[in-house]
Amino acid sequence: MNVIIVGAGNLGSSLARKLSDLGHRITVIEKNPKAVSLLPRGRVDSGAMTIIHRDGSTGPAMIEAGIADADVFIAVTGKDSLNGLAAQRAKTIFRVEQVMTAVRDEGARTLYESLGISTINKATLASDQLVKILTEEA
Amino acid sequence: MYLVIVGGGKVGAPLASSLINAGHEVFILDHDPDTVVSLQRELGMIATVGEATSVRALQDAGTARAGAIIAVTSSDEDNLAACQLARTNFDISRTIAIAHSPENAELFDLAGVDLGVRATVLVLSNLATALPAHPLIKLMPIADRSQELVAIKLPAAGTAIGRTLSEITLPYGTKIVLMVTSEGQWKTPDADALIEAEDELVALSPANSTAELWEILTELR
Repeated sequence: MNVIIVGAGNLGSSLARKLSDLGHRITVIEKNPKAVSLLPRGRVDSGAMTIIHRDGSTGPAMIEAGIADADVFIAVTGKDSLNGLAAQRAKTIFRVEQVMTAVRDEGARTLYESLGISTINKATLASDQLVKILTEEA
Repeated sequence: MYLVIVGGGKVGAPLASSLINAGHEVFILDHDPDTVVSLQRELGMIATVGEATSVRALQDAGTARAGAIIAVTSSDEDNLAACQLARTNFDISRTIAIAHSPENAELFDLAGVDLGVRATVLVLSNLATALPAHPLIKLMPIADRSQELVAIKLPAAGTAIGRTLSEITLPYGTKIVLMVTSEGQWKTPDADALIEAEDELVALSPANSTAELWEILTELR
C-alpha cells in the first residue's frame, strides 16, 4: 500500500517504521527539517521511505507526496485541528480511501469520526492499557 | 443576537466592537491571556481565555445559546475546527470563518461552514478600489529622461470630456501627440479636436509634470 503520514513525531515515526517493515511504501511529510531524527535513516537513504519538508496540511504538499496514488492518509501532528483539516482535505478533495488521524480532545474525536475519518486518542489508548494491566493483576 | 467570536486579535477585536455598537451581544474566546486582559479593559467582561478547538471552552462561552459563531483566529485549521465543533456539539445555526489561504476557503465550503470569508479576495478587491482605474502609463523616457512619453485613458465622467483640446490647460511644456478613441481610431490632436469619453491620450510631458497632467485629465465632474 502507498501510505502518507503527516507528522514525524513519536507516533508518526514509529508508525512509519512499522508500516515500512511490513513492506508498505511510506511518504512522511514533516514541516520541520530538524524533527525527522526518529525516522529510520537507512530506509530514507535507500529510497524505501520518502521525506517531504512542507506543511502537510496543504494541497501542494499532498500532491508532491503522491496523494493521487495513496491508499492510506494518516495525520499525526501534535495539533488536533491541523490533523482534522489535513484529514478532511485528503478525504473530500483527494478522495483517499482510508483516512486516519490522532486527536487529544474527545469532542474532536466525535466530530472526525462522524466525517468518516478513523481516529485514535493516545491518552485513551494508554489509560485503557494501564487499566487492563491493573485489572488483570488484581 | 448573541454571537461567539473565536479569536480576539487584529480581526476579532474591531469586529467585536462594531458588533456591540450594532446592538449585538458578543462573547470572545482567545487562547492568549494578555489579549483577553486588553479586550476586557477595552470592551468589558466579555472575553475569556480558552482554546478555539476545545468543546469545553466553546461551551463555557455560551455557544449553545449563540445565534452564530464567528471564527477569526490567525489559524485556518482552528477556525474550521471551531465551526465544526460548534455545529456538531451545540447545533449552532450559523457558522462563519475566515480563511487566510484560498484553498482552505474551498475546503471550508465543502466542510459545511456557512460563510467562509476569503481573506485574500478581500485584500485584492480592496486594493483594486484603492488603485486608480485610469492609470498613467509611462511609455518611454525621452531627451535624457527630462521628458516622458505617457498614455492616459480618460474616465467617462471626467471634466475634460466634451471639450476641445484648446480648452484644456495643460502643464507647461506638455504636448498631446496622439488621441486614440475607445474603438481604436486615432484623431489628430489639433486645437479643436474634441475629447470624448474613454479616449486615450498620448502626451509628451516634462518628467516632473506627468502627475499634474494625470490630475488634469482624470479629474471627475
